[in-house]
Amino acid sequence: MNIVVLIKQVPDTWSERKLSDGDKTLDRASSDAVLDEINERAVEEALKIKEAGDAEVTILTAGPDRATDAIRKALSMGADKAVHVNDEAIHGSDAIATAKVLAKAIGTVGDVDLVLAGNEATDGRSGAMAGMLGELLGWPSLTHANELTVENGTAKAKRETDEGTSDLEASLPAVVSVGEKINEPRYPSFKGIMAAKKKPVTTLGIADLGLDASEVGLAGSLVQVDSFAPRPPKSGGQKVEDEGDGGAKIAEYLVGQKLI
Amino acid sequence: MDFVETDEHRDLRAAVASVSAPYGGDYYVDHARRGAECTELWHALGDAGYVGVSVPEAYGGGGGGLVELALVCEETAAAGAPMLLLLVTHAISAAVIAEYGTEEQRKEWLPGLASGRDKVVFAITEPGAGSNTHQLATNARREGDEWVIRGEKYYISGVDEAEALLLVARTGTDARGKAQLSLFLVPTDADGLQKVPLPVDVLLPEKQFTLRFDDVRVPASALVGDENQGFRQVFHGLNPERITGAALCVGIARYALAKATRYANDREVWGRPIGTHQGVSHPLAKAKIETELAALMTQKAAWLHDRGLPAGEASNMAKYAAAEAALAACDAAMQTHGGNGVSQEFGLLPYWGLARLLRIAPVNREMVLNFVAQTTLGLPRSY
Repeated sequence: MNIVVLIKQVPDTWSERKLSDGDKTLDRASSDAVLDEINERAVEEALKIKEAGDAEVTILTAGPDRATDAIRKALSMGADKAVHVNDEAIHGSDAIATAKVLAKAIGTVGDVDLVLAGNEATDGRSGAMAGMLGELLGWPSLTHANELTVENGTAKAKRETDEGTSDLEASLPAVVSVGEKINEPRYPSFKGIMAAKKKPVTTLGIADLGLDASEVGLAGSLVQVDSFAPRPPKSGGQKVEDEGDGGAKIAEYLVGQKLI
Repeated sequence: MDFVETDEHRDLRAAVASVSAPYGGDYYVDHARRGAECTELWHALGDAGYVGVSVPEAYGGGGGGLVELALVCEETAAAGAPMLLLLVTHAISAAVIAEYGTEEQRKEWLPGLASGRDKVVFAITEPGAGSNTHQLATNARREGDEWVIRGEKYYISGVDEAEALLLVARTGTDARGKAQLSLFLVPTDADGLQKVPLPVDVLLPEKQFTLRFDDVRVPASALVGDENQGFRQVFHGLNPERITGAALCVGIARYALAKATRYANDREVWGRPIGTHQGVSHPLAKAKIETELAALMTQKAAWLHDRGLPAGEASNMAKYAAAEAALAACDAAMQTHGGNGVSQEFGLLPYWGLARLLRIAPVNREMVLNFVAQTTLGLPRSY
C-alpha cells in the first residue's frame, strides 16, 4: 500500500501567534515552529497500517525551508520518505490554492492508495483540506475519523463530530482526515532520529508540479485577509447569581458550551 | 570549530524532553519524598530507546556515545526528573561490560540495560576507602571454579532496584602495597550478601545501601575483563560518571532557573514583578552564566571521551563547574521564591539536596581541585 501523509509546520500554540502587518499572512518569525500535533496522529495511523501489513509511507508538506524540521520529525517517527514543496510563489496561498499544490504533489508519489491528514491545523483552522483534496483528486474523503480500518481495498472510518457519530466506508484510493481521539502518537526513538536524516526527501518547486505562479500564492487565491485585529483581552466572564439554582445554571452553561 | 548542535542532537533533546514532560517536577518530587523509584519514567525512556542510547546496537542499544547519554541526563533533569542511576547503570556498568565483558556477559546484561528493564549498579566505595581506591579491602579469592568475596561497601545507590552489582574487589596486592583490583558481576540476590539501607536526609527516589559480603560465591565467569586490571578498567567508567553527573547538574540548574524566572515574572510586590529588582535578577543571571559555561565544558568532555582522547581534565572541570552551577541556581531559585522556596508546593528543596550531594559525589570538589592543581597546573601533590 502506498500512503501519503500530509503534514504542516505550525506556530507553537504555546507561543504568541501573529499575522504580519504587510501582506497579512502568518508571521512565521514571531514564534517557534512545530509539527502540528494532529499530524503526528495521522503519521501514527499510517505507521500502524505499515506495521500491520506492508506499506510505504511518504510525508508531504508545502512550506518554507524550516519545514524540514517538521519533515524530519515525521521521518524519525518511522515514515519512509518525504516530498517537500518549497517555493516562494506559494506564500499566501489560501486553502484551495494549497489543495491544488498538494494534489499535484500527491501525483508525483505514484499510485497512491491512501492520503492521511489531520482534520484541522491549529493555525489556519479551515479544516477543509481533506474535503478539497478529495474533490480535486476525484477520490472519496472521509473526514474527522476517530477510528480507521483499511483492508481489502476499503477504508472504514468512524466519523465523530458535534452532530454525532457516523460510520463511513469508501473504496480506495481515498483521503482520510483524523481527529484527536484516533490514537496516541509514538515518540521518535533514538534509532528513528539517527535514521531520519538519511531518508530521501524530494524537494519540488511549483514548476515541477506543472503549476504556474499565477495559480498559487496571494495572487492565485480566492480568499485574502483584508484586515485583522488582535483578540480582545479576556473580559470578566459571565457571572451567575446563585439563587438556590446554581448547580442547574452551571450545568446549563456547560451544556451550552457542549462540554457535557 | 562548530558550536551549532546537529539536527540529530536537537531532535534527541526535543524527544527526551517530550517523553519526560508528562512526568516532570511534580512526579519526581512526589517520588523523592516517598523514596519511591521512578519506574514509569525509566520505562518510558527505555521504550523509546533513550535509557539505552549509549549501549551498542548489536545488543539492542542506540549505538550512541557519551555525548548522547549526557543529553539524556541533562534533558530529563531539565524536565524536573533527574535520573541519578543513569550515572552508574549506563555511564559505568553498561560501558564497562561493553568494553571489557565477555560475549556471554554482554549478551546477558546489555539488552536489559538497553531496554531499561534491568539495572546493574556500581559498588566501589568502602567505609575505609573513599576517594583512595588503593586502600580497598573487600577481597575476592579464587577457590576452584568460584570467586569467594568478603568485605563491606557503603553508599551504594539503587541496590534495591538492580539485578546485579558491578563490584570492585581486591584480588591481590602489588609490590608497593597497593591493591590489585578486579571487577565482578554479582547478582543482588546472591547468598551471603546483606543489603542494609543507609538512610540519608536528602530527598531522593534512589536509596543508598551498606553491603556486607559474607563469603559470597560467584562463578569464575563473573569476572569482568582481566584479573588485577580492575583499576584501569574502572577508570574507563569514571570519566563518564563525572560527565553524566555534570550533565545532570546542568539539567537541574536549568529546571531551577526556569521555575525561578517564571516566579520572578509573575510574582508582584509593590505593583511590579519581583524580577524587576536586581537583587533578584542578578543572582539568577549569574547562575545562568555559570550553567552555560558548565554545559559547554560538559559537552567538550563527552566529545573528547567519545573520540578516545584524554578526557580526565575536562571531565573533572565539568563536574566541578556543573555542581557549583546547580547549587547556585537552586539557591538563587529558592531565594527568589521567598518563603515559598522551602514549601512543598513549589518543591525546590529536593533539587538543592541533589545538587548538594553532587558537590560531594561521584568525586568531591576538593579531589577535583587537587587534580587540577597537581595535573593541570603542575603544583606539588597534596596527598
